[in-house]
Formats: sequence, structure tokens, C-alpha cells
Amino acid sequence: MAGALRVSLNLESSVPAYRQIANDLRRHLVEERLKPGDLLPPIRQLAVDLGVHFNTVALAYRMLAAEGWLELKRRRGAAVIARNAPRAVDRRQVDHLLRQLAHIAAELRSVGMSSRQISLALRRLAQGTRP
Amino acid sequence: MTSASWSMMLVVSVNAILFHAMPRFSRPDILFAVTVPEAFAAGAGRTLVARYRAIVWSGATAALAIGLLLPAFLPGSGQGGMLVIGPVAGNMMVALAAWLLAHRKARAHAVPFSDVRVASLVPRDTSLPGGTLFAAGPFAILLATAVLVYTYRDDVRAGPITIKPFGPLVFGGVYVAMMLTMAVSLARTTRQIAVDGLAAAAEQRFRRVNVLVLVLTGYAVAVLLSVTTVQSMPAFGDALSGRVWLVPMPIMLFNFGVALWMFRVGQGGQRAVAPAARQEVHGDATPDHAWKVGGLLYFNPRDPAIWVENRVGFGYTLNMGNARAWLLIGMMMLAPMIAARLLF
Repeated sequence: MAGALRVSLNLESSVPAYRQIANDLRRHLVEERLKPGDLLPPIRQLAVDLGVHFNTVALAYRMLAAEGWLELKRRRGAAVIARNAPRAVDRRQVDHLLRQLAHIAAELRSVGMSSRQISLALRRLAQGTRP
Repeated sequence: MTSASWSMMLVVSVNAILFHAMPRFSRPDILFAVTVPEAFAAGAGRTLVARYRAIVWSGATAALAIGLLLPAFLPGSGQGGMLVIGPVAGNMMVALAAWLLAHRKARAHAVPFSDVRVASLVPRDTSLPGGTLFAAGPFAILLATAVLVYTYRDDVRAGPITIKPFGPLVFGGVYVAMMLTMAVSLARTTRQIAVDGLAAAAEQRFRRVNVLVLVLTGYAVAVLLSVTTVQSMPAFGDALSGRVWLVPMPIMLFNFGVALWMFRVGQGGQRAVAPAARQEVHGDATPDHAWKVGGLLYFNPRDPAIWVENRVGFGYTLNMGNARAWLLIGMMMLAPMIAARLLF
């Protein structure tokens, strides 16, 4: 497992803490910095380190387990698993995410970014690099 | 000078030295139990430390003067506990007042607690140093002694107070179990403050040494109680008579060495780390407002950690706002009661 694998959360953010944790973890998984077989810290340990309730971390782990990224291990945290089988596209979830993206694109245009700049940034994000 | 005067001088001096060194015990950016910019702690904060130390030593000097001059003015007062207790208590109160005053002044320079939390996703080693077998060693020692006592049960000598033959061993078992519970809990439920790099490695080493001290204390108690029990059996003679306290000496010396090492590396091992390597580490990841009585007690019901780094002194302290911490405290209070019940 590569070094500097971190998860961060901002308690001032309007995004719930469990989502922030899940988002960070998902980013590491998508960018393959977390690979199949890697172990994640036990729920209690990560909760204590982040200073949040155990359920917050448990919820983030469960969310990623439901997405097929993790296998939960009793008292040992979670392990990253291979997502071999192509997953069925959840149309409702995709629509929901695209709607969110549309709002963000509108916000980006309102702060002065051109359509071209937005497309470029999105392409870079999709390729796993920073825009 | 009477022995009471010597005792008073010793206690007051040790107390003054401890209070003098106390600001050095904290992390580099914690001053008088307040999170401050490291530049302040290393710069302008020194004036605050110097003033605090001046009050501590003035209090100690006054306590020594009163304690030594009192018998000359009040004949007969050179004996007894009051000569010791009076100056020692006075010295302690002055030193505590100096600490609280400095704590209050340092709060004016406090750094606001960050709402951003960062943690490493790399699982860390939370096992006991030496493994489970090593941790179970004290139980093996006590069990072996119990077998010996059982074998020579008709031979056990009655001491001046009637002590049940297995009492000290069962008490030892309870004490060792308590030490191990604390060690496991410390290893697993303490927050990692530095996320990665040299600072994180130093912090983990510091924690493991603390856990090792708890395990070794269990060994010291098991060996001491076993030897005491064997001593009470005529079949094994009085070879160690009067020198039983020497038996756990190596472990006690080790613990003393650890205390000196902690003084050198500072709280969380952070003073041994180059400032550049701990640039991302700020404070001890606990909010200042949760520290009560000048930083002596930590009370934060919103914090899931059972143990947090001490802000006054080395090592760790319990989060009094956590119900699990109270379970541990209950256990520690129960042990002496069990001891009394088992011993006599």
C-alpha cells in the first residue's frame, strides 16, 4: 500500500461526515492507490483518529461495501476486494449524480469558467488526475 | 535536624523540580496545557515559563524556610507529620496556583481548534509489545507459584497477620489483568495525532513504550508477590529475607530509564523529531475547552477516544466524558477492595 493514504473531513462542511469519508476512500479506490487485498483500519481506530462516532465510519465502510469495493471484516476493519464482475448500472443513481453535476457545472459557469474549461476539467477528473 | 525536617526538604525539593520541568513535558506547541503557535512557545512564551518557574521556586524556598525555622520558634514542633505536611501542602498550592496563572495567560495566545480532521488509512500495529505470550507471562509466574503453594500447603508459615496463602497470588492476578486491560486499551483506542512520516513513527514508538511499561509493571508485581509468597514457606528458607524488594528492581530500573527517555523525547516523542518533519502536526487533536482544571482533566463526551495524551505530564490520561473510561476507573477502584477481601 502506498504511503500518504489519508482520509480527511471538514466538520464545517454541509456534506455529512460519513459521505466525506466514503468520498475520500472511493477516490483512493478509483485511482487504484488502494488495491485489492489492502486492509483498511478497524472502524474504531479510524473513528478515534478522526474524532467521530464509530457509526459514522461504519456507515462509510458499509456504503463502499454495498458498492462492491470493500469486504467488511469483523473487528479487523475492511479489506479492498477486486470488482471483477461488471456491475449493473443503477439508472436512478446515475441520474441523481448527473443532476448534481449539472448544478456544479452551472455554478462553475457563473463564477466565470467557460464550457471548454469545464469539459477539460471533467475529462481530467474522469482520468483520475487533478483538474 | 530531625528526620521529619529531612523528609520535608526532600519532598519540597522533588516537588519544585517536577513543577519546574512540567512545561518541558508537553508537545512543542502546547504551553501550560494550551495549544499555541510553536513559534510563540519557543519565543515569547519563554518569558511566561520563566515567570512561572520564579513563582514555583519562591514558593519552594518559602516552604523550606518555614519548615526549617518553625522548630526554632515553636519548640516541639520539629517532630511529627505537621512539619512535613504544612510546608509540602503550601508549596504544592503555590506551584499549582502558578501553573493555573500561566495557563490563563497562555490562553490569550491559543490557536483555534481546527474543524478539519485527517487520518491515515494505513492500519497500524496495535498488538502488545512481545506478543500475547509475553503479556501472559505474569499469569504464568503467579500460576507456577500457586502450584508450589498448593504442593506445600501444610507448610505455609503463619505471619504476624493471618494472610490467606493464595490471597497475594489472586490479588496479583487481578492487578496484572488490570494492567493488561489498560495496555490493550491504550494500544488500540489512543488517537494517532501525526498522520504519517517521522512524526507518526515517533508517536507510535512513544505509545508502544508506554504499553510496554504497563506490561512490565505486571511482571514486577507478579514476581514480587510470588517471591513474597515463597518466602513464607519454610521449605524455601529465608535466603531473600529483607531483600525481597530487590527482586523486581531490574524492571523498576527499566521504568526509571523510560521516564528519563520520555523527558528527552517529550510528550508523544515529538521533541526528538525535527521541526520540519512535524510541520503538519498541530497540538494533540483535542480542543482546549475540553481540558479542565488547568489542563489536568480531559472531559469530552463528543470524543470517542478513551485515552488521550496528557497535557500535564507524560503519557496518557482518560477521557472523563467517555463511559468506557469510567468502566476502567471502576475496575481500578475495585482492585484494592478485592485485594483486601482476598488477602485477609
